[in-house]
Amino acid sequence: MITLTDFLLVGALLFCTGIYMIVSKRNSIQVLIGIELMLNAAILNLVAFGKYDKLNNGGQVFALFAIVLAAATTAVALAIILNVYRRYKTIDPDEIKNLRD
Amino acid sequence: MNLLTLLIFIPVLFALVIVLLPSSQRGSFKYITLLATLLQLGISIYIYLNFKTGAASAGINHEDQFQFVQKLPWIGLNLGSMGKLQIDYFVGIDGISVTLLVMSALVMVVATLASWEIKSNLKGFFLLFLLLDMAVMGVFCALDFFLFYLFYELMLLPLYFLIGMWGGVRREYAAIKFFLYTLFGSVFMLLVMVGLYLSVNDPATGSHTFNIIQMMNPANYTSGSVFSAAAHQTILGMPARTVGFVVLFIAFAIKVPIVPLHTWLPDAHVEAPTPVSIILAGVLLKIGGYGIIRICLGIFPEIASSGAFWLGLIGVVSILYGACNALAQRDLKRLIAYSSVSHMGFVLLGIASQTAEGVSGAVMQMVSHGFLSSMLFFLVGVVYNRVHDRDIYHFRGLGTQMPQYTAFVMVAFFASLGLPGFSAFVAEAFTLAGTFKSPTVNGLLPYWMAICGSVGILLGAAYFLWTLQRMFFGKVSLKGGEVWKIALTDVSIREKLALIPMAAAALALGLMPSLVFGKINDSVLALIQFLQAK
Amino acid sequence: MNNAISYTDPSIFCYAILAVALPLFAALINFCLPVKSKAAGWISTLAILVGCVLSAMVFAAVWNQQPQHVQTLWFTIGTTKVFAGILLNNLSVMMLLLVSLIALPVHIYSTAYMKHDDRYSRYFTYLSFFCFSMLGLVVVDSLVLFYAFWELVGFSSYLLIGFWFTKDKAVQANKKAFIMNRIGDIGLLSAIIIIFAKFHTFDIATLFINDNLVFKSVIHDGLWISASGQIPAVWQYVACIGVFMAVAAKSAQFPLHTWLPDAMEGPTSVSALIHAATMVAAGVFLLGRVYPLFTDSELTILGVIGCFTAFMAATIALTQNDLKRVLAYSTISQLGYMILAMGVGAYGSSLFHLATHAFFKCLLFLVAGVVIHEMQHIKEENNLDIDPQNIQYMGGLRKKLPVTFIAAVVGSLALIGIPLTSGYLSKDGILIQAFEWSEGRSAWLKLIPAGALFTSWLTAFYVSRLIVKVFFGEFRLLKKHPEIKLHISDGGWQYRVPLILLAICSLFPLFSLNPFFYEKAWLFESLKPAEFMARENIYHTIIPIGVNILSVFVMYAAYAIYVKRNTFSFPQTGFLYRLSYNQWYLDKIYRKAIVKPILGLGKTCFWFDRNVIDGLIHLIERSSRMVAALTAWSDKHIVDGFLHLMAALVQSIGNFARKFQNGKVQYYLYSMLLIVLILFVLKILI
Repeated sequence: MITLTDFLLVGALLFCTGIYMIVSKRNSIQVLIGIELMLNAAILNLVAFGKYDKLNNGGQVFALFAIVLAAATTAVALAIILNVYRRYKTIDPDEIKNLRD
Repeated sequence: MNLLTLLIFIPVLFALVIVLLPSSQRGSFKYITLLATLLQLGISIYIYLNFKTGAASAGINHEDQFQFVQKLPWIGLNLGSMGKLQIDYFVGIDGISVTLLVMSALVMVVATLASWEIKSNLKGFFLLFLLLDMAVMGVFCALDFFLFYLFYELMLLPLYFLIGMWGGVRREYAAIKFFLYTLFGSVFMLLVMVGLYLSVNDPATGSHTFNIIQMMNPANYTSGSVFSAAAHQTILGMPARTVGFVVLFIAFAIKVPIVPLHTWLPDAHVEAPTPVSIILAGVLLKIGGYGIIRICLGIFPEIASSGAFWLGLIGVVSILYGACNALAQRDLKRLIAYSSVSHMGFVLLGIASQTAEGVSGAVMQMVSHGFLSSMLFFLVGVVYNRVHDRDIYHFRGLGTQMPQYTAFVMVAFFASLGLPGFSAFVAEAFTLAGTFKSPTVNGLLPYWMAICGSVGILLGAAYFLWTLQRMFFGKVSLKGGEVWKIALTDVSIREKLALIPMAAAALALGLMPSLVFGKINDSVLALIQFLQAK
Repeated sequence: MNNAISYTDPSIFCYAILAVALPLFAALINFCLPVKSKAAGWISTLAILVGCVLSAMVFAAVWNQQPQHVQTLWFTIGTTKVFAGILLNNLSVMMLLLVSLIALPVHIYSTAYMKHDDRYSRYFTYLSFFCFSMLGLVVVDSLVLFYAFWELVGFSSYLLIGFWFTKDKAVQANKKAFIMNRIGDIGLLSAIIIIFAKFHTFDIATLFINDNLVFKSVIHDGLWISASGQIPAVWQYVACIGVFMAVAAKSAQFPLHTWLPDAMEGPTSVSALIHAATMVAAGVFLLGRVYPLFTDSELTILGVIGCFTAFMAATIALTQNDLKRVLAYSTISQLGYMILAMGVGAYGSSLFHLATHAFFKCLLFLVAGVVIHEMQHIKEENNLDIDPQNIQYMGGLRKKLPVTFIAAVVGSLALIGIPLTSGYLSKDGILIQAFEWSEGRSAWLKLIPAGALFTSWLTAFYVSRLIVKVFFGEFRLLKKHPEIKLHISDGGWQYRVPLILLAICSLFPLFSLNPFFYEKAWLFESLKPAEFMARENIYHTIIPIGVNILSVFVMYAAYAIYVKRNTFSFPQTGFLYRLSYNQWYLDKIYRKAIVKPILGLGKTCFWFDRNVIDGLIHLIERSSRMVAALTAWSDKHIVDGFLHLMAALVQSIGNFARKFQNGKVQYYLYSMLLIVLILFVLKILI
């Protein structure tokens, strides 16, 4: 039988993969994918914990809500990346240092 | 207009005139200064003649017995919880100061006459000279400690520049040495002055006061204050009043000067130009003695009694040590400087005896030494001006070359070594008499001090006579040969005008000591009584 | 304070004051005259002549009467009133008359003697000033004034000894004289101060005559007690020592006598007046004034010293070749007699001898002046290189200078003490009383009269030697330089009159109608002490006879030796000769033992001043400069360094912090992660 722990493990694995991608990839798209992975890890956890709310299925509802939001943010993020590319001719996050003081 | 105020500030008025005159008029500066000093002399003689004597005008510790008093509130700051800052412009004289005033005024005239030799930067010289004149007069008249201190420090500045700018070869060294010595004394004096201020209350206003006469009354000290006699406060483990006395004494003793705080004197004298030497020896040294009488004895009488032995010892040591040193000199000016140390030792000895004879003798000695040392320094200046040398070994037989000059030198030398008929004899004899009387009258000094002091008189004869023999007698033989022979002309009329009043004053005081004793007697008696009552 | 005046005639005081003041006026007038003015001599002489007459009037009025005393307040010091006034008693009027009487012939003599001097009027200024001081000294009534005149006398003597101030020897002599006198002055000053502290007055009349406070005080239990209080007895001794020092300095007693022979560098007329007759007698006069101060044992010491001085000076006089030096030592010797007389209680004899000695010694000096003057004349006329005072060159002058010769003989007979002269009267008085005094005292005190006796024979010898060498035999200078021309004579009346006058005064009639018994002399009778012993013992007969017989022998011996043999002098070998010739080496001893150490002390003091005291000051200065340098360094390196350190620290922290702010999003995330992880780890660990 698949237990809650297994779901959480998979979620953690996904989350770590996501983080790794975020901090190490040289391409903003890949970073964005990492972010999606982390989101999905979170959604997986929501669904897994949903078993404690069988009456309202709050977990699944939140998951759906999060998926919708994720899609929206991804769209915005892609738009930003596009703009960044237009301005800097690169989407390597190491090259973009304008946040520096 | 108060006469004392006028006396003090006349030099400033004339200094302003000099400031306003253009440099093209520099030839007139010396005459302006001479006029100022003559005016001062006139006023001081008027004051002297109108000075009332008698037990009711003795002064010392009775404010109402001072004469020619002017008292104006000067600085009166309300300091809130700290009370009121009360500094008065308070001048007045009693018997102790009046004779010194006349003496100083006369010395100033002579010093002005000696200033004819100054050739460079006349404006600066006479300005500083007049400033010094004002400060000196102020010191003798001030009865407010703050005012006293102000004048006292004000003397230092002109002197420093007068020595440092118009002096001899090593003038900077001498000026700085003089400045540091005196400053060392007066800085600590400032501390004691502030301590006294905080300890003393004016009974009339209730606020702290700098009034010297109030400081003499033990009842005016607030209980528990630093210098209150009843409080027995200590500073660094020593009784506070002893510390206060010692500090003030050192400050004045440097001026006197005493051994071993005297080494500024020979250097300053040797390097200073003649008029400054005259003022230094004639007036400045007296301020030390005057300060000891007025302030050390007045404010800390009981310490003065318990420390009398040491005061007397210092006096005796100064007499003998100064005389021994003078024996070894070959620079005429340095010789006279050391003889000053020796003569001023008598002042200290007389003060220490705390007898009427001793203190009167001390004051007499101050007046007499004022005249005689001025005369001596003037005489050195005469020779120095002509050939720019004062080494005793470089001259011989000046008696033939400059007979009138030699006559003046003999008068000055013999008067200084205590020939009867001149003032120094009366002063020294009575100082010693007072010293010898002290053990039987108040038991302060041992008998032997008087005897030791008299040996100083003997040594005085030795060095003066040696100088006379070496420098003035014998056949003419000068180091500078014919050039000097032409340069060494006899005294001019101006020089005679300066010398004769001095010699006459010394002679007059020797024949009629009452000229001084008559004026100071009541004050001295009051002082002795005050010291005995403690 | 005016007391015990039985009758007062104010004019007496006027005369006395005038007698004192006239020479002062003369001095002042002369001082204003041009230096070569010849009027000066007559002004001074006139002053002293009038003074002499006035003195005689005062003398006549006061002698053997009550002491006269008048005073006025001089000044007040504290509660002490110091009076000035004059006190005329037997002692002072005698001195007053004596001084002016001696001064008169000396003045007359000087007008001729100093005639050719460039500073003629100065000489008379000084001489008159001296007369003023000396006359003032004898009449004043207060110890302060006494001291004042005492020193003025010394001062005028200084001026006169060094009158020829271009002569090095003269100025050295006057310096020496003044300083030695100063030693005495210090003693006198100390004594006066002690007396003042003890009795609270300076008045001589109160102290020694009327109330005689000093005499009434007693020494008991280590304290000196009188009605006015008590002080330790040692100060009584110090006072006596002080007075003795004063006496010894002024009257040239051992050990302070060495200035007097040197003082002969002054003009001879000055030596006659000051260094023979008057000033040097001031010491004896002082003893007379303060006699009650001395206790019996102190008087004995005085006697011993007087006797020793008399003897020592006589031995030195035996061998000296300088005419004036011989006389100077004889003066010292005679003064020794006077002190001795004071010491043995022969108060009257001492003063009597003072008076007689003044006349005959002044006479001898004036004689010497004539001789020296003539020798100088010969020297200048013939361009010789000789010392005009050296008796080796003289001889046989009795024919050339007859008046001088007679005066010299009278003077020297008086000095030896041959009967019919005044010297006999006074000197035998001293000898007799010295012998009487030594009766019943310890044996060694008998040496005093014995020494005095012996000295009187020595005196006979050296005086005879002098006279014989100068006036008898043949003129030795002529023998040596036969080519020289001689134009010498006794000189004008200004020389002769004083000599004759003084020669007459040196004979007995002035003092006594009885030429043999000293106690019949009127001067002595008035001054003798009350308990004087009458002529009752053997000494009164034996001593005069013994002394004089032997003296005559000695004189003959001298004549025999120096005229018959007529050699230049004795063989000059032997320790005693050298001791005498070199004046007992005292000058050398003083120079080595006193003058040099004092000068050394002066140098040491100066070295101490320069190096120790000033060194200390410089050390303080240097060390404060070092402290300043140290603070400057620490300011630069430590205080500032700390500040720089802080700045650097802040900077490095900032630099470190800005590394986290490099603008790389991933880096931010990375750090965030790291921190979260650290937090977790910490959470777990803690």
